Amino acid sequence: MNIHTVRGIMDEMLQALLLFWLPVAVVPFGVWIFLSSSNDQRKTFGRFLAFVGIVMVCTSPWTVPSSPSTAAGHLLGAIIGPAVLILLGIYLISFSGHVPVGRLPRSDRKLGMFLSFVGFAWFAGMHWWILTPQIASGQVNDYWFVFWPTFLLLTSCLSSCAAIASLTIGDNRKTESNYMFMLSGLGFLMIFLGLNVDGPLITTDDFREHLWLSVADLAGIAVGGLLSVMVFALVIFVYEKTLPSPVTIEAPQTAELEQVANVIASHIGGGVE
Amino acid sequence: MSGSRLAVTWRMMALAFVLPLLLILAIEITLSSGIEGFDGDEAFTRFANATLTSYTLLSLLLLGNLFFYGESRNRPLAPLVGMFCASLLGVAATFFFINQGPMLLEDNGSAQAQAIYNIVHTLVSAGAVAFAVCVSLGSMFSAITSQKRRINFTFEEE
Repeated sequence: MNIHTVRGIMDEMLQALLLFWLPVAVVPFGVWIFLSSSNDQRKTFGRFLAFVGIVMVCTSPWTVPSSPSTAAGHLLGAIIGPAVLILLGIYLISFSGHVPVGRLPRSDRKLGMFLSFVGFAWFAGMHWWILTPQIASGQVNDYWFVFWPTFLLLTSCLSSCAAIASLTIGDNRKTESNYMFMLSGLGFLMIFLGLNVDGPLITTDDFREHLWLSVADLAGIAVGGLLSVMVFALVIFVYEKTLPSPVTIEAPQTAELEQVANVIASHIGGGVE
Repeated sequence: MSGSRLAVTWRMMALAFVLPLLLILAIEITLSSGIEGFDGDEAFTRFANATLTSYTLLSLLLLGNLFFYGESRNRPLAPLVGMFCASLLGVAATFFFINQGPMLLEDNGSAQAQAIYNIVHTLVSAGAVAFAVCVSLGSMFSAITSQKRRINFTFEEE
């Protein structure tokens, strides 16, 4: 597609709508088709839609440079590599262990650990090295300041919670709990370093400011999400309450009860193989 | 598990969840004698915008969910209309509060720009949340599967 020609024809809002917002909407739509279809052709179509959507979102900073929203597409393109490495690594570690189905070779465990390590190192390099997502030379993508502290903080909090849960709810899960404490500690360490060690483009003051904002963000998302779930439950509750109660049937007669008792008696008791 | 034991467990898990944040706060207050870089007004603006946007977006998602809920109920209109009104309320509240002045308006020039910024910001935050959940749950799962196989049942000789 010749972007310059398209730019000449469409105004900026229409460009943003067609080249950023529509692909954003297409991604969950494709995933939904992929997950809900039993037909192979439809599954492929859903996968294709989601893939095209992600590619178009990632390329939106170049196709719609006038829209500030496309910085989110730029961020997605920047973090998709390390994120996939970490998730793939966790998948390999998990399924090379003791799982009843879909077990992978034991050697995949080392590969998984390597991939996860590279993913985390890549993320760390985005803060403390030259890999920081930049919209222009020396200008850090604003959404990186949203993503990075939120991810670190929540990973640390969730891992700590999972560690305690495995200790208190699980049965003899001390080793697993220690692993989760280590992950929580890793998240905490990265936050601590972010608060005290400057990167080439990200200062400790920047990180500190955005860390507190990410706490506000997380609290807001939790409150808003909880409110909408409560409203949803209320709507269902009110509707269900207006429905007439189902017709009750008569109690079984003595003869029917005896017949049921005979059937049950013929199926239990054991003794005869 | 008894009721009181269960309550203690939940309290411990909630405390464990906020523990890293409390530790960071404690270290910050100890080293800097205050929470450096914290701007109450800006944090409140972020909190309010995040609340309104996540309410609206999740309401719309749940509205779609209601459509499928209706499949087993002869597609009743009442809950759909109810949830649609709840979503509209979120949109109206967002625009109303943003239009009130600089309280919820961040570095954006108009209510429309702020609303679009809020949506993108929430999507990025939600992406970070989803990724953190995947990493934490995935690590927990891998920690469990990497241990020796457990035998849950003991077979007695007859």
